[in-house]
Amino acid sequence: MQNFFTNLLYLPKNIGKLTYLFFDSLGFRVIFFLKCIKSCFTPIYYPDLILKQIIKIGYNSLPVVGMTAIFTGMVLALQSYTGFSRFSAESAIPNVVVLSITRELSPVLAGLMVAGRAGAAIAAEIGTMKVTEQIDALKTLSTNPLNYLVAPRIIAGLISLPILVFVGDIVGVFGGYLICVYVLSFNPEVFLVNVFNFVEFVDVFSGLVKASVFGLIITFMGCYHGFHARGGAQGVGLATTYSVVSSSIMILLFNYILTSLFFQI
Amino acid sequence: MNLKIKIRNLQKKFGSKMVLNNLNLEIFDNESLAIIGESGSGKSVLTKCINGLTEYNNGKIIYENSYDVKNLKTEEKGLHISKFGVLFQNSALFDSLDVEKNIFFSCSGKKDFSILKDVGLDKSVLPKMPAEISVGVQKRVGLARAIMSKPKILIFDEPTTGLDPIIADQINKLIRDLVIKKKLTTITITHDMKSVYEYADKVAFIRNGKIEWYGQVKQLKNCKNIYMKNFISGKIK
Repeated sequence: MQNFFTNLLYLPKNIGKLTYLFFDSLGFRVIFFLKCIKSCFTPIYYPDLILKQIIKIGYNSLPVVGMTAIFTGMVLALQSYTGFSRFSAESAIPNVVVLSITRELSPVLAGLMVAGRAGAAIAAEIGTMKVTEQIDALKTLSTNPLNYLVAPRIIAGLISLPILVFVGDIVGVFGGYLICVYVLSFNPEVFLVNVFNFVEFVDVFSGLVKASVFGLIITFMGCYHGFHARGGAQGVGLATTYSVVSSSIMILLFNYILTSLFFQI
Repeated sequence: MNLKIKIRNLQKKFGSKMVLNNLNLEIFDNESLAIIGESGSGKSVLTKCINGLTEYNNGKIIYENSYDVKNLKTEEKGLHISKFGVLFQNSALFDSLDVEKNIFFSCSGKKDFSILKDVGLDKSVLPKMPAEISVGVQKRVGLARAIMSKPKILIFDEPTTGLDPIIADQINKLIRDLVIKKKLTTITITHDMKSVYEYADKVAFIRNGKIEWYGQVKQLKNCKNIYMKNFISGKIK
């Protein structure tokens, strides 16, 4: 009984400790984030590194994003047909496909794919540099690691993701077109007319804005966890895992926030 | 000799573990100091505190009687760090860059290839990636990169660790020649007493976060400190 009361007394202490740790960690991330953003506006740019990162993050992710988009568009067309045919609304399938792809599926799925591919690579690369003292070496060579390592990746993420998502939009709608025309026997011209008449600028634009935010999240999370990797290979592995998990959760969270913002406009 | 760095009551903690505990040390201009001690005694942490790569909790590190490293602002700290050239334990060459880009990383003007001769390299190694060269060559490249930035102080972090005795001897001789030729102030962290005898002027032995013994290399033979004697002989008595 006495133990129970003693443990009860420790409860507020533990709650306090956890709260302190939470805000300490949050504050640490916010400060690092602000430093990263500042580094993007510091007039020491490495154009060759930005280009290299655009190729790594953007160009090399094209196949995986394209595959995801085309299959999503195809599945969406089939599933929409299953539902819409029950109340004879098959003609709305192109509209549903284009709206779902541009506003929601293309940015989110591209974001998740790039988080798994490029975000993990960023965390692993910077994490390895951290544990092998390459980041310390950069400092001794009068180079700010944030300007040299983080800024090019963040800028590349901000540029690459919208381009990837735009390509994903086109490929995803093409996937829906393939199913509608060759499986569900739609008239191809009717499908395309429906798509172009229905889609609005804001549908595509909102997806591209989301993509930019996701690009920032993925590259920041990769850099943050890489920069704070400890130990050896195990530390780098953990940094990679944390980077992918936190990026994915943040993408889903910010997807909701941005969707509600665009919903109000 | 002019005093280059003065360390007073230096304390560095990692969590609750006190790694450096009221450590005092002086490093003079054009002097080659070897810091020796058991693994985990805080040798690398000490040099990282000195060159500003790690923050310390308490105490003072005074550079050239002009400023305390702890009080430096971000930009000033960058300038302080760049006064040091470091040969890291595992060379820390940039994996994504070839040897040439590694060596001339901090060089913005015309490349001076005579540096290759100074560290015993030839031009054929320049297009290779760090993963394609041996550990001994990596050390030479790391050394070339460190002296390329024309530092005021050179730090060697276990320069012969992981090398076979022949290559270790070559690296020791290379460092000795560089120390004599460039007349640099150097700090060497090592477990290798051969390195100490090869090019150090003074030795500082760290134990329990403090300097346990400090003196000239020639005084090592008459050293009375039991821990120091054990360390030098490599035997527990």
